[in-house]
Amino acid sequence: MSSIWENYNTENAYDELMHSEFQPRAVSYNLCQYLNTLNKEDIDKRKTAAELAIMEMGITFTVYSDEGNIDRAWPFDIIPRIIDAKEWHIIERGLKQRLSALNYFISDVYDKQSFIKEGLIPDDIINSSKNFRKECIGMKPRHNVWANICGTDLVRDRDGMMYVLEDNLRVPSGVSYMLENRVITKRVFPELLQDINILPIDDYPTQLLEMLSSIAPNQNGRPQIAVLTPGIYNSAYFEHAYLAQQMGAQLVEGCDLMVDDDDCVYMRTIEGPEKVDVIYRRIDDDFLDPEVFRKDSVLGVPGLMRAWQAGNVALANAPGAGVADDKVVYAYVPEMIRYYLNEEPILPNVETYLCSHNEHLDYVLAHLAELVVKPANESGGYGMLVGPHSTAKEVEAFRKVILKNPRNYIAQPTLAISTSPTLCKDILEPRHIDLRPFILQGEKTFVTAGGLTRVALKKGSLVVNSSQGGGSKDTWIINREND
Amino acid sequence: MLSRSAERLYWLARYLERTENLARLVSVHMNLLMDLPKGVEMGWQQLIHINGCQEAFHEHYKLAQERNVTRFLLTDPGHRNSLFSCLSLARENIRTTRELLPDEAWEQVNELYLYTKKHLDSVSSRRMRVLFLNEILEGCQRFTGLLSGYMSHDHPYHFILLGRNIERADMTSRILDLSSLLLSESRSNEMRQYESLLWMNVLQSLNALLMYRRHVRSRIKGDDVLNYLILDSALPRSINCCLYEMADAIGKLPNHDKLPEDVADLKDFVLSIDTRQTTQLQLRNILDQLQTKLAFLHERIANNWFLAHSVDDAVIQQEQKAN
Repeated sequence: MSSIWENYNTENAYDELMHSEFQPRAVSYNLCQYLNTLNKEDIDKRKTAAELAIMEMGITFTVYSDEGNIDRAWPFDIIPRIIDAKEWHIIERGLKQRLSALNYFISDVYDKQSFIKEGLIPDDIINSSKNFRKECIGMKPRHNVWANICGTDLVRDRDGMMYVLEDNLRVPSGVSYMLENRVITKRVFPELLQDINILPIDDYPTQLLEMLSSIAPNQNGRPQIAVLTPGIYNSAYFEHAYLAQQMGAQLVEGCDLMVDDDDCVYMRTIEGPEKVDVIYRRIDDDFLDPEVFRKDSVLGVPGLMRAWQAGNVALANAPGAGVADDKVVYAYVPEMIRYYLNEEPILPNVETYLCSHNEHLDYVLAHLAELVVKPANESGGYGMLVGPHSTAKEVEAFRKVILKNPRNYIAQPTLAISTSPTLCKDILEPRHIDLRPFILQGEKTFVTAGGLTRVALKKGSLVVNSSQGGGSKDTWIINREND
Repeated sequence: MLSRSAERLYWLARYLERTENLARLVSVHMNLLMDLPKGVEMGWQQLIHINGCQEAFHEHYKLAQERNVTRFLLTDPGHRNSLFSCLSLARENIRTTRELLPDEAWEQVNELYLYTKKHLDSVSSRRMRVLFLNEILEGCQRFTGLLSGYMSHDHPYHFILLGRNIERADMTSRILDLSSLLLSESRSNEMRQYESLLWMNVLQSLNALLMYRRHVRSRIKGDDVLNYLILDSALPRSINCCLYEMADAIGKLPNHDKLPEDVADLKDFVLSIDTRQTTQLQLRNILDQLQTKLAFLHERIANNWFLAHSVDDAVIQQEQKAN
């Protein structure tokens, strides 16, 4: 093999592309063949071309620090991650099944609560969830779907199985980077994409638009759709603008909207107020409407909840959908699938210990140094403990944090999450990765072909979040049957 | 179209126009100073005067010589009307409106910004500065061409035209204000000797020299030049032409209220100017009035179409990050 594979070591985890140092998996055979025709200098040229494209296209995310906001170029690794279409189709079914059950569950929580009444989940888990919104009780969003857009994080363990790590049902981000990653790969490896049968992904904005149209309160005519962003200082602003542009929707901030006495939502335009039918909101519940939630919010729209409750505007995701985006509730998803769908889960959960549960708590406290402990309601990889990568002091400090509020913590075994070859300086090294596919549910259900592969760029690190030194890769679902 | 987007596109166009004007102004001035002997009362400080930023300049610099003035006008991030600041603001405005423009428009402005950021230091060398300014001018022209070729000529486009032309009229009036010095009775004999060179420079800073030759077909004379730059109805940077473009854009926008009358009044005022009948002092007075009227027109446009600002920016920033 060529020198870029110097010392490639697949011993520590399942590797997505390589059986062993010298043997590519069947699905990555063509890619590896191709990479072998490149020397270090060729690879470096491709890498530079990718970096240039990212700068010029202005693909950025914002990092906050005491020195101010830094608009960072999106860290991208040019070596794609590959999944066989045969395996993918099973995962796709599993994702649809999961979101469908979650939506049944949310509808149930705000309606009859039969899942709780039958004792399948303790009621205090729901009542103490900060994402349970009593204002939503009795609401019936169109198609009975509350979480219209979901980003589910998947990881592959040493055994080669894909596990669901978490379901992001509030305002999941990353899909624009998935789309832009493919654009860059097409620029960097045009010869390669022509020869390999990769499932296309660029219909996402169309699918999103169709889904959003399908939830409009009034199904006559073309609905007015708006993407509600917190604004330019939000770390995902690039994505909000990108999606609005690709869908031909309006990108609005809270100050652009108002709710009139007729409980309808209007945009302030140069022609006067214009009615809005569907809002793809990228603002958390807390900030959505100062009349109902946080009073001091300047990002939201006073009266928005009123308009939604009156059925005059559709919000995606619906307020309150976050009740199922809670790492404690996560543990009950397999049971939801059995209960609501009468099916066995296709995608397994990672084994989860609930600190609210006395027996589990004892186990967790006794095995802190081996486990990953996460807060139930945080995102972005903040506030968590990775036992094996922490000092004894950190572990002890975290023990106190858990004991203060056990309900707020869950623990999972530290997985040996899979690796994929990643360009480090001028050679390939294995780096840990995960996968975030995006699932849309409205009238129909749709799953992206693949998703956003995030990669922990630091050697040995398991944290893939872009805010914490993670990067991303293009994700190829390859159909080998037509090869 | 959202009021907020209208405002940002208007400012995008103003800042890009300002960027282009600054680049041309410095570039033409540089050429002129290479031709003039030392000691003529036309130096680097004139550029500071044109841009009306004497105070801001002297807060940070002592001497108005080449190095300081070019740094101040082109690359100083602390000066809010430097070329780099204008380009940064243009980029912020397009970043928040990119969904209304062709894809390439954002990439074009972003590339130009990245180029400028990378070459900030090179403007201290005269040779590098020439290349730098050319790149800026070409970049701005590409942007203008791109919009005229790819963008639907709809409301967003008309706000861009509005911003571009009000900025243009403002810059032209500033250049004229300064050039009126050339009519001063007290000007030195040396200056009189180089007069036609100086008037050519005025025309060139508005890219109007060739057009002047074709249309006026006379020796280059001060009052002819002034009349041409104020009143000509075909030259894109004449004040009359800018007003015509603005009237056209305003007429095509909804809810324009009394704005067409406002522009018509301004036009009457401009058309009544005859530089052949005015003294230098009167002319300066007229140009001052013109600038005040342009500022008033901007206020009227903002009140009519843009959002009223009520919340403190710092509070908004804080919350956007937290979300």
